Amino acid sequence: MMRKVTAIALAVVSDALRRKVLWAVLVFAALLAIAIPSLPSYGTGVDAAVFRDFAIALTFAASLVVVIALSVTRVPAEVERRTVFTILGRDVARWQYLVGTWLGIVLVMVGVELAFLAVTLGIGWLTYGEPAFQLAEASLAILLECGIVAAFCIMITARLGAVTGAVAALAFLFVGHSVASLVGGGVEGAKAPWWVPSLDVFNVINPVAHGSGISVSYVGAMLAAFGVWC
Amino acid sequence: MVESEPSTPVAHEPAILIEHARKDYGKAAGGRREAVSDVSLAVSRGAIHGLLGPNGAGKTTTLKMLLGLVRPSGGRFEILGAPAAKSGARAQLGFLPEQPYFPPQLTAWEALRLYGQLSGMSTKQIAAEAEPLLERVGLAGKQKTLLSRFSRGMLQRLGLAQALLGSPSVVVLDEPASGLDPVGQRDVRNLMLEMRDTGASILLSSHQLSEVEAVCDEVTILNRGTVAARGHIDDLLNVAGRTSVRARGEGELPAAVASLVEDQAYSGALAAFSVADENVRRVVDALDDGDWQIVSVTPKRDSLEDYFSRLLAESGDLADTAAPARGDRPSPSEEVA
Repeated sequence: MMRKVTAIALAVVSDALRRKVLWAVLVFAALLAIAIPSLPSYGTGVDAAVFRDFAIALTFAASLVVVIALSVTRVPAEVERRTVFTILGRDVARWQYLVGTWLGIVLVMVGVELAFLAVTLGIGWLTYGEPAFQLAEASLAILLECGIVAAFCIMITARLGAVTGAVAALAFLFVGHSVASLVGGGVEGAKAPWWVPSLDVFNVINPVAHGSGISVSYVGAMLAAFGVWC
Repeated sequence: MVESEPSTPVAHEPAILIEHARKDYGKAAGGRREAVSDVSLAVSRGAIHGLLGPNGAGKTTTLKMLLGLVRPSGGRFEILGAPAAKSGARAQLGFLPEQPYFPPQLTAWEALRLYGQLSGMSTKQIAAEAEPLLERVGLAGKQKTLLSRFSRGMLQRLGLAQALLGSPSVVVLDEPASGLDPVGQRDVRNLMLEMRDTGASILLSSHQLSEVEAVCDEVTILNRGTVAARGHIDDLLNVAGRTSVRARGEGELPAAVASLVEDQAYSGALAAFSVADENVRRVVDALDDGDWQIVSVTPKRDSLEDYFSRLLAESGDLADTAAPARGDRPSPSEEVA
């Protein structure tokens, strides 16, 4: 059963790795990452934190572009070109096809996050003389959030078109990160109750860029949220 | 509906069984479109069964219901005796869709590996089968070529290769010769005959009547979502009570013959015509007496084109065959839903 899911996932990875949009975003983001240290100085001791802040934001933005581009186009394109017929005609259940597609996109995103991490770690190390290993924690948070976005996009585009899927994904991200303020009546620092679905758990810029990173239990909370969302 | 008696009794359950298939699109409020009203057919094991019909007759929709690509509104679908919707029922089935497309960023080998794995084959098995299969469909040496660089005909050949991967015992081919040149069409025909010889059962949907006539043992003709005719191709095409005669000779046909023949055609010294069965002996004797050489005496048989046109003309639908009813076709998303 899972063999079919894995086969579809690996085909998605092979297909995605040859897509120009993936490499264009990666190269553009890498160039921007290289440019971060040339930003105005914020003072001794703060530079590295600002670099981490920008690096996480850049990784998040580029990852979102990649994951939305890959996941909103995959299913509609396969239906439109009817390539899905040769797959579903082979005793493959619809859920296997959708889960395989999602898994493939998540695997691509694992590669994307590792690439960004390598680039930002390398630049940070060369510029500030010490590796910012805590960036790996942010990469994990971004990967998990991208996994949720991919699942959402695939769910939407299984019925609707790619443009609708992209707009819905952006709306989903906005609402997912605004739930706390919406529920808290706009009060700064308000927190949504634990049972209200929110994407804020993946917002780790402050502890990673300006603090001492996130705890193991927080990683567990992120994984739990990822499981619940997906 | 025209129905011929089966020439050989079916000894065991059919490879494919479709009973009273029905498919509606749209909602009652918005006006339902009935793509298939009532289609029943049975593909005998080890036979090639042709599915014919004008555009919009419901051929492809029927196939897609069988394969679980569209949800049927009604009917019974079985593959090798098991309900087609049941998990594992399509494990022994190969399918070539009409105008197959594949993920363009995959190579031919990667595509075959994907479809092989989806059929439950091991990578070793796929590797062993892929190369000879690609060679068999005329794609030797193209394993590492990206599918985005494949021509329409090459994609069609790859579609055939993926349908035959794993040596399935039931194969459904939707317009397999579409996009192929004459040599490719001949290759496909030979491939189908080879597969039948190895015991595979084939359901062939095609517009190419010559192809159907050349390879099919049985045919089902659809029109407006229902079965218009079905039976053994010889039973459908042979014209009851008439015999075709071909003879070679000089000048006009003997007077005793001329009054008994119909459908005369001449090619140089060769004359072809048909006679009523009861007059065959008299005609042959008269030709013999007139120093004509008898070339052949066979049961009169319509071409499938003639039969098909006549059938549609009888039901007043001939004009419908001229243009595809694109507006009546469901969108891809409607189909997969």
